[in-house]
Amino acid sequence: MLKKGQTSAAYLFLAPFLITIGIFFFYAFARAIYYSLTDFNLFNTPKLIGIKPYVDVLSDPSFRRALSNSLVFAVITTTLQTIGALLMAVALNNKIRGMAFFRSAWYMPSITSSVVITLIFLWLFQRRGVANYAITQWQTYLPYTLTLLGVLIAAQVAQVLWERARGLPAGWFDPALAVISLLIALAVTATLSWTGVLSVRDVAPYDFQYFSDRWISIGGARLLSIPMLVIIIQNTFTTIPTLMLFFLAGLQNIPGALYEAADIDGATPMQKLMNVTVPMLRPVTFYVITVGLIGTMKMFDQVAVIGSAAPQDTLITLAYYVYINTFKAGAAPVNLAAAAAIVLAAIILVMVFLQRRFISSEAV
Amino acid sequence: MTTTLAEVRKNAADLDRWLARRRWARAGWLYAFMLVMSIFFLGPFLMGLLSSMKDNPNEYPPRLIIPQLTPQYIGRAYNLGVQGAGSGWNGGLEPGRTVTFDVSVRSPADAPQGPPTTALFPYQPTSLVAIARQAQATEYATVRTVETGQVGEVRSYRITVDYPALTAQQGEVIAARLATPDENVNAKLPGGQIVAVTLDTPAAQDKQYSLNATQAVELVKAGDKYYLRGPVFERTPLQIDVQRGQSITASTLPPSDRQNFGRSFAYRNITPGVLGYTFNNYRRAFSETTSPQTGRSLFFSWVLNTFLYAFLRVSAAIVFCSLAGYALARMDFPGKNLIFIVGVLFVQMVPDQVNLVSNYVLLQDLGLLNIWGLWFNGLVAAGGVFLMKQFFEGMPKELEESAAIDGAGPLMTFFRVMLPQAGPALIALAITQFQGAWNDFFWPLVILRQNTDYLLTVGLVNFRQLYGGQGDYGLILAGAVLSAIPVIVIFVIFQRYFVDTGSDSAVKG
Repeated sequence: MLKKGQTSAAYLFLAPFLITIGIFFFYAFARAIYYSLTDFNLFNTPKLIGIKPYVDVLSDPSFRRALSNSLVFAVITTTLQTIGALLMAVALNNKIRGMAFFRSAWYMPSITSSVVITLIFLWLFQRRGVANYAITQWQTYLPYTLTLLGVLIAAQVAQVLWERARGLPAGWFDPALAVISLLIALAVTATLSWTGVLSVRDVAPYDFQYFSDRWISIGGARLLSIPMLVIIIQNTFTTIPTLMLFFLAGLQNIPGALYEAADIDGATPMQKLMNVTVPMLRPVTFYVITVGLIGTMKMFDQVAVIGSAAPQDTLITLAYYVYINTFKAGAAPVNLAAAAAIVLAAIILVMVFLQRRFISSEAV
Repeated sequence: MTTTLAEVRKNAADLDRWLARRRWARAGWLYAFMLVMSIFFLGPFLMGLLSSMKDNPNEYPPRLIIPQLTPQYIGRAYNLGVQGAGSGWNGGLEPGRTVTFDVSVRSPADAPQGPPTTALFPYQPTSLVAIARQAQATEYATVRTVETGQVGEVRSYRITVDYPALTAQQGEVIAARLATPDENVNAKLPGGQIVAVTLDTPAAQDKQYSLNATQAVELVKAGDKYYLRGPVFERTPLQIDVQRGQSITASTLPPSDRQNFGRSFAYRNITPGVLGYTFNNYRRAFSETTSPQTGRSLFFSWVLNTFLYAFLRVSAAIVFCSLAGYALARMDFPGKNLIFIVGVLFVQMVPDQVNLVSNYVLLQDLGLLNIWGLWFNGLVAAGGVFLMKQFFEGMPKELEESAAIDGAGPLMTFFRVMLPQAGPALIALAITQFQGAWNDFFWPLVILRQNTDYLLTVGLVNFRQLYGGQGDYGLILAGAVLSAIPVIVIFVIFQRYFVDTGSDSAVKG
C-alpha cells in the first residue's frame, strides 16, 4: 500500500479517539494545570496567582491527612494483594479436576462493582455485624480449636517420626499422615467435648466499632485508621482474583523442566517457590505491582460510598480530597482541588518512573 | 544377608503404593483448601443475598436458616395474601376482607392469665421521592382476639382483622387511585378517566378529608355512579403484647421485631403474599422509590439508565476502539509511537480527578450534565484501544495483503476483512466495556445531577445515605444484589472471555 494514503487513513481511523482524549483529557489536563495556578472558585473569572494554591494545599492539614492515607493505603494494599494473588495462583496452578469451577468462583469479587462490595462490607462490619459475630464465635470455641490443633500437630509429629524410623521418606507436612492426624484430632476433640472436659467459653459479644475514629499509631504518628483497614481488607479481597489470573498466565509459561531439575536437587516446595517460581514471574510481578500502585493511589469509590458513615479524617484520600473540594458548597476552592489533583498525578507518574528505572522487569 | 529379586520388587511396589497414597491425600487437602477459599470469596455475597430476604438483616446472632425461605412460612404468607387481597403473590388488604392470624401464648401458673393485647399500627415508608401520607389499615380495620384452645400452660388465640367495605352498594369493583379533589372527591380510573366519587355512608364521609391524592382505592360502580369501597393497603402491620411473665411461643408468621424482652411482637405485614414476604426488600426497592404522581419508580429508571449507558459505551467501543486499535497495530504513520505512549499508556496512568474540574465545567456549559455527557466523556476508552491493538497485532498479515492486491482501500479492508475476523476480541471488548460501564461510579457521580438520571451505583449510594443511618440494611442489600445480577449473568455466560482478557494483557503488558 502507498504510505501516503496510509497516513491519512490512519489519522481518519484514529480521529474519534484523538478528538475524545484531546477534549476530555489533554485540554482538561492543561486546564487543570492552569486552574491550579489561579484563584478559580467555579464562579469567578480565574486570575493567575502563581504557585500559591500549591503552597496552600501543602499546608492544609486535611490534604496532608489525605496524602498520608493514600500512600499508606497504596503501599499496604499493593503488598498484600500481590503476595495473596501469587499464593492463590500457585494453589490454582494444579492440574486437578474442577479447577475451572474454582477459578470462576474465586473471580466473583472482581466482577461486581466496588459500590456493591463496599455496601456489603459496611453491613458485615457493623458493630453487631457478621464480622464481629464470627470473632465472638472464634473466641467462644477457642478451647476446641486449640485442642484440635494441638492434637493434630502432636499426632503428625509422632507419625512422621515413626515412619522415618521405618525408613520411609516422610516429610513434616506429609499429606497422607496429616489426614490420619486430622481424624485422630477430631476424635479426641469429640471425646473430650462429650465427656465434658472441653466446654465453650462464655464470652461477651465482641462489639468493636470499625467505622469510628480509631487509629494504629507508630511513635504517636497516626498511621492507619481502622476504617481504612477495613477498606484495605475489602480491596485486597476484590483485587486478588484479577491479579491472580495474571500470575496464573505467567505460571503456565514457566518451563516444567525447571521444576524437574529442582526436584532432582531435592528442593522443598518452599525452596521451589522462592528460587524458581518467584524469579521466573518477575515480569508479571512487575506489571501487577505497577497496576496495583496506580489503582490504589486512585482509590475513591469506597470512601465516597462510606461517606459520612465514618469520620472524614479516617478515610480521606487524595482523589476524595479533590472531589469534595471541587463540589464544596458556596465558593469551592477549585484551584486547591486542581493543585491536589496535579500532585496526585505527579506522585503516580513518579512511582511508575522509579519502578521502571530502578527495578528490572526482566526474568532472571 | 542377601535380598532376592522378589524382595526388591516387593519393596519397590510398597514404596509406589506409599507414594500413590500421598498423591491422593495431597489432592484431598487441595480440594479442601479450594473449598475454604471459595467460601471466603463467595461468602460475603451469599451472606448478603440471604440476609437481603430477612425482615431484619441486622439480627444478632445472624442466622442462616431464615423463615422467608422455608416452604412452611412461604405457604402461610401465600395463604394470608389470599385472605387479605385475594392475591397470594402480592398480598395487601382490601375492603370487605377478613384475615385470621393465630398466636400461642404461654402463661405459667404464677403469671397473669389474660389474653394478649393486639392492635394494628401505622407504617409510613421512608422514601427518596415525596410520598403523601398514606391511609393506614389501623384507621379502617378492627381487630378482635378469641381464645381457641389450651394445652397445658399454652393458650392459643385467633386474631381476626376485619376490614368492612365503606359502602353497601353492589356492583363491579374497580381498583383506582384518588385524584386531586375539587368540590367532591375524584378518582382516576385505570383507563386514565377522572370520575367523581360518591361517599354514601357516614363511615365513608368521615374519611373524606384524611385521604390524600394518589391513594390506591377500590370503587364500586353501580348505575353510573362510583361509590368508595375503601382504600387498598399494601400491608397490614400488627402488634401483639403480652404481660410480664407471659411469653409468645408461636404465631402464624414469625415476628419482624421482638421488643420489650420478648413481650412485644411486631409483624410488619400479616398479609404479605409471597412477594411481600420473601422478596419484601426487593419489592420495597421499587415501591418506595415510586413517585405516586407519575407512577415511575426511581430504582427502575436507574436500571434502565444503566442499561442504556452500558449499551452506548459498548457500541462506541466496538466501532471506535477497534478503528484506533487497528490503526495503531497495522498502519504506518508518523507519530504512531507518540500516540500510543501518550494517548494510550499515559492516559491510563493519570487519575480521573485531574480532569474533573475541566470536564464538569465544559459539560455544564454545553448543558450536557446527563447520560449523553457521561457518554461523550468516556467515548473511546484507552483500555479498549490497547486491547484491540494487541489483538490486531496477532493477526496474520496475509489477509490485508490479499485485500490490498484486490484493490481494497483501508476502510474497505478494515470493515470487510479485518473486523469480521475480530469476533472473539470484540466480545472480550464488549464484555469489559459493559462491566466497566455497569460498575462505573466516579464520573456518573460527578456528571449526573438529577436523581432520575442516576445510574445504579450512584442510586445505591443514595440508598445508603437515606437508609444506612437508620440501619435499614434490608433495602440496601436488596438493591446491591439486584444491581449485581446483570454482571454476574454476563460473567456466567462469557466466563472464558473474562479470564482471557485478564491474562492476555498481563503477558504482553
